[in-house]
Amino acid sequence: MTPETLETLAGWVGLVLTLLVFSYLLGDNVLYRLAVYLFVGVSAGYAVVVAVEGILLPWLRGTLLASGASGGQIVMGLVPLLIGLLLLLKAYPPLARVGNLGMAFLIGIGTAVALVGTISGTLLPLIGATGAALAGDLVNGLIIILGTITSLLYFQYMVVRRPDGEAVQPWPLRLAGTLGQIFLIVTFASLYAGAILSSLTIFGERVAFLLARLTG
Amino acid sequence: MRRLLAVLTSSLVIGLGLVTLWGLFPGSPVASITAALLQMVVVIGAVAVLIGVLNLLGVHLRRIVKGDSGWPYSVVVLLAAVAVILLVVVDRMGLGGESDLGGFLFNAVQVSVESALAALLVFFLVYAAARLLRRRLAWGSLLFTVVLLVVLVGWLQIPALGAFNGLSEWIRAVPASAGARGLLIGVALGATTAGVRVLLGQDPSYRE
Repeated sequence: MTPETLETLAGWVGLVLTLLVFSYLLGDNVLYRLAVYLFVGVSAGYAVVVAVEGILLPWLRGTLLASGASGGQIVMGLVPLLIGLLLLLKAYPPLARVGNLGMAFLIGIGTAVALVGTISGTLLPLIGATGAALAGDLVNGLIIILGTITSLLYFQYMVVRRPDGEAVQPWPLRLAGTLGQIFLIVTFASLYAGAILSSLTIFGERVAFLLARLTG
Repeated sequence: MRRLLAVLTSSLVIGLGLVTLWGLFPGSPVASITAALLQMVVVIGAVAVLIGVLNLLGVHLRRIVKGDSGWPYSVVVLLAAVAVILLVVVDRMGLGGESDLGGFLFNAVQVSVESALAALLVFFLVYAAARLLRRRLAWGSLLFTVVLLVVLVGWLQIPALGAFNGLSEWIRAVPASAGARGLLIGVALGATTAGVRVLLGQDPSYRE
């Protein structure tokens, strides 16, 4: 099959699948489910291909299957595969705790990477950017700092106990929380508008694709 | 035995976590060990993906064998997954000629269904926003709707609206950005706290 034929075929398959998914607008139906299950199957197949082609085969070629592989290379190649296979035990309840040893590798190393990534990639840059907002327009900068702090305080549930035993939130915290709530509502509304516009753009692209296919 | 395994699991998490953390600092003497550990985790992750897909296919196979309701859909899942793997194998063996069968499947199925599903979202988002107004009117939902409309109309950049367009831009750049920063900093603080708890052995969830 030539690449051109495949491209044409892909276009028609895409047209049919798009129509099947759009049929959901008439309610949940067999056609929509067919498209979604097909998508799940193809995604699962792709996940296998990417995992094997992109990660496992290069790893095996560099360790176990390398010409004249040393003992260290063989051990290095086997260890992650054995740990990975330990994860299979998680599905067998009597040995599930042994499977946790495999999970320990993922959790321990993953946590450390996430910790460094969160602090150096999110926390510090965001705090720096919030502080730097004052360097531009002073009023806007102050609003950004106020919004950032009060949004954080909105999720603060600290209370003080009155002499009569009732737990109440101190008024400054209540006020900051209400302000934070306003900022959060504005943020969510803005993000919601962004989501509507993005999906509208994709919808327009899909409709244009359908029309182009059908009208040739 | 259970206690020993729990201690061993916690020790592994804490030990590997601390070594990795140390190795990620610039100029660390254990940087090479951390690099090897990261490579190993990627391989373990790939094996985990394979196990996950096998589990998915196993679940669908059981549904077919038992004849559960909706089993024909499971046939579609199984056939699609096997077809993708076979087509890529055929492709890599050079039996597919010049054509890129993997790319064909990606364009024909993945891209089409993903973008069609994303396109469907517009209807549900608009419907949900309309339903918000039909519920009891509170100041929060009113503010949400007003901001939503201002941002949507502002995005159109209608020249006749003049300063209104600027208001939409200001909302996105100042108060919305402030709230988003608050949320992101909150998420980062939460993730940091959770990470520290795991590395201190205070989070027992992974030992269960």
